Amino acid sequence: MEINEIACTKVLHRITKALNKPVHIAPIVTLRVAIGFLMAVSTIRFLALGWVADHYIEPVFHFTYFGFEWVEVVSPFALYAIHALMIVAAVALMLGWQYHIAALVLFLGFTYTELIDLVYYLNHYYFVSIVLCLLIFAPAHRYFSLDVLRKPSIKTEFIPRFWGLIFQMMLAIVYIYAGLAKINHTWLIEALPLKIWLPAADSIPVLGPLFAWAAAPYIFSWVGMIYDSTIVFFLLWQKSRPWAYAMVVVFHILTGILFQIGVFPLVMIAATLIFFSEHWHIALIKRLRNFFFSAKHLAAFRQKTETTAAVLKNFKPVSRGVVVLAALFFVFQLLFPWRNLLYPGNIFWTEEGYRFSWRVMLMEKAGTATFYVKDGVSGRVGIVVNSTFLNPHQEKQMAMQPDMILQFAHFLGEHYASQGVQNPSVRAEVYVTLNARPSQLLIDPQRDLTQISDGWKAKDWIMPAP
Amino acid sequence: MKTQHFNPVIMLSLLLLGALYACTEPDENDQQGPFDRKAMLANYADNIVVAAYADMLEKMEALSSGAGALQTEISQENLTAAQVSWAEAYRSWQSANAFNFGPAGEMGLRKGLIEEIGTFPVSQDKIESILETGNYNLNDFNRDARGFLAVEYMLFAPSENGNGSIERFNDQIAIDFLAALVLNIQERVQAVHSAWTSGYRDTFVNNNGTDVGSSTSQFYNEFVRSFEALKNFKLGLPLGLRPGQVEAAPQLVEARYSGVSLETLELHLETIERIWYGMAAEGTDGLGFEDYLETVVGGTALIQSTKEQLAQVHVALDALPMTPAFSTQVSTEPEAGIALHTEIQKQTRFFKSDMSSLLGIAITFSSGDGD
Repeated sequence: MEINEIACTKVLHRITKALNKPVHIAPIVTLRVAIGFLMAVSTIRFLALGWVADHYIEPVFHFTYFGFEWVEVVSPFALYAIHALMIVAAVALMLGWQYHIAALVLFLGFTYTELIDLVYYLNHYYFVSIVLCLLIFAPAHRYFSLDVLRKPSIKTEFIPRFWGLIFQMMLAIVYIYAGLAKINHTWLIEALPLKIWLPAADSIPVLGPLFAWAAAPYIFSWVGMIYDSTIVFFLLWQKSRPWAYAMVVVFHILTGILFQIGVFPLVMIAATLIFFSEHWHIALIKRLRNFFFSAKHLAAFRQKTETTAAVLKNFKPVSRGVVVLAALFFVFQLLFPWRNLLYPGNIFWTEEGYRFSWRVMLMEKAGTATFYVKDGVSGRVGIVVNSTFLNPHQEKQMAMQPDMILQFAHFLGEHYASQGVQNPSVRAEVYVTLNARPSQLLIDPQRDLTQISDGWKAKDWIMPAP
Repeated sequence: MKTQHFNPVIMLSLLLLGALYACTEPDENDQQGPFDRKAMLANYADNIVVAAYADMLEKMEALSSGAGALQTEISQENLTAAQVSWAEAYRSWQSANAFNFGPAGEMGLRKGLIEEIGTFPVSQDKIESILETGNYNLNDFNRDARGFLAVEYMLFAPSENGNGSIERFNDQIAIDFLAALVLNIQERVQAVHSAWTSGYRDTFVNNNGTDVGSSTSQFYNEFVRSFEALKNFKLGLPLGLRPGQVEAAPQLVEARYSGVSLETLELHLETIERIWYGMAAEGTDGLGFEDYLETVVGGTALIQSTKEQLAQVHVALDALPMTPAFSTQVSTEPEAGIALHTEIQKQTRFFKSDMSSLLGIAITFSSGDGD
């Protein structure tokens, strides 16, 4: 027992030591600047598109995340204030000004707005939340930042390799898991859903004819799978890195042209820079410096923040506690996406364990859901017009995802009870088409959904996949 | 750069691909080459949309003369003639009420054409108050006091003292209001028609993607919206089929004063069907959603299901008696109406989620999941 403990401590000690190997800070500084910049751009874009009103203010009903039902939408004024604050925090993050506070505010603001409505769930929003959370703790402000200018004593050129590694690990999980998810019959052999999506994009300038080519869906499916599963290794290998990064750029620009995925391609193109060498990042930051500041300014900065002492002067190792926390975090990240294995049935159909698992652009699915509200006393049955309560995006997303159907049914039960329907029961006829197959019933149309509550348990009211 | 050999990723992919593609026989039904969306849009524009507006303008001309004749001489004969031309124009509108985008879409304070000239039920109170005071504004938000159904009220509804509606026109305000209402519809339709014929037609045809804002997406969205409006507002609500409704609502029936509801319902449904086929009013079948579906994965099966269900809709429609008026039927013998609603409800998924999914049409602006 005691020997085991000692051995454990020893291993942990050795790992901590390895993770504390000093490396240059530049890579995570680039990440800080890039993420701050993109968050500012994407928040401004979100506001400019009028999505604060469309997504959060106008809908009368919001779908909630399991376990986060308590998250409520605040007043329109507060929503706009939060978005303004997020822009400020993003710019502050980019400039490294009040860095930890900026990262914390941005993380909280962004995650809060994501939690308002499950309907807008995107894997890359989850990814951004994770990166922001990790940034809160990272020392990415101790170089090339306003904080250093303000307080030169915090400047450091070297940090434990731990900090760069956690971002690389996270990216590796995202890519590899996205790749593994593509290894299935439908994706690889039937080339679905790309066989649906690519021909629909045949009018895109220049690339259109390529997308219309009959072999294109097969090529894209296989390349996509191989790209996702292996790109991290080619980015890690110094020899293949330039090619691999070119591939990253081409791949994400292509998906950006093909699909409505907002700033996501840019996020990945920026985040994968973390795989480049210290020297590359140092050179990049130098170029950024020279671009934005005159030689005179630079000399003044240098004088102010010059660290003449040993390079490791401000080096702050990570503690064993931090390493343990990070290990727990990654164990969770590695295991949680596999939870679908604990559920029976086809994950694409049931979507049990589908989210938070890096399953991206994997299927073409759509449904039409008709809800019947029955008055328990009079027996009169009414048919709900979903658009009375939901915007088109909510309606579309709800109609193919069992947990959202359940939430909406509960809402309808309560709503119509308040409208004078007595002891309402709610059932739903939901027809879903998956990857161009004829639509079939998704859930048991006879079950009173108000009597069912959501949970971790397998949903026995989902019909078998077609 | 020293490393001039190929990226292993690309090499590996190409290799695997070659192997895979060599042994993949293309499916028979989904390899008919790319579909010419432009040709479909041109057919929709020329033979369905513009043709419908042109026909409407013709019928509106007749209605305008009818209202003019009534202005010159108030007689039962002139009223009857005006009623006939109203019904003609309203029937024509059933072929033109599904294209509320572009020139007929929302712009600033102006809502879609269907809201501006096709809102029902109209507000009896508002119209009567206009007839009392002579104050009206045909560009404000009181859309339930203008458009086709306001004209219908003027021409068909019994006037307040219970006498025939001819009594109403003894008042100059009523005569003027009627003329203004008709002119307002005419001007709005004219504006949409001329926008289509002077440039928008080409814009529409050339915007041939499938993204949000593309012509296919806009046209498709309006097609579905029109179909659902028929189901929900022309059938569901009057029949009392919404949760919370405890009885039928005859006052919500479309065109209840003239009693042409069932006829227009049938015409509206016919339009929906024609749009799906790509068929012009006079029966020429051009490229439409049906032809588009023939070229995509799973399309053949969906075409079959759609047609089978359309046949069921027709059976239900044929079973719906043309008398008494629908506003009476909903209360006294709603069974046939409810049966029709049920069949139309079953049709919904084929038009709505199945078709947009198979065709890969983007229907909302929000971002999807990235890759």
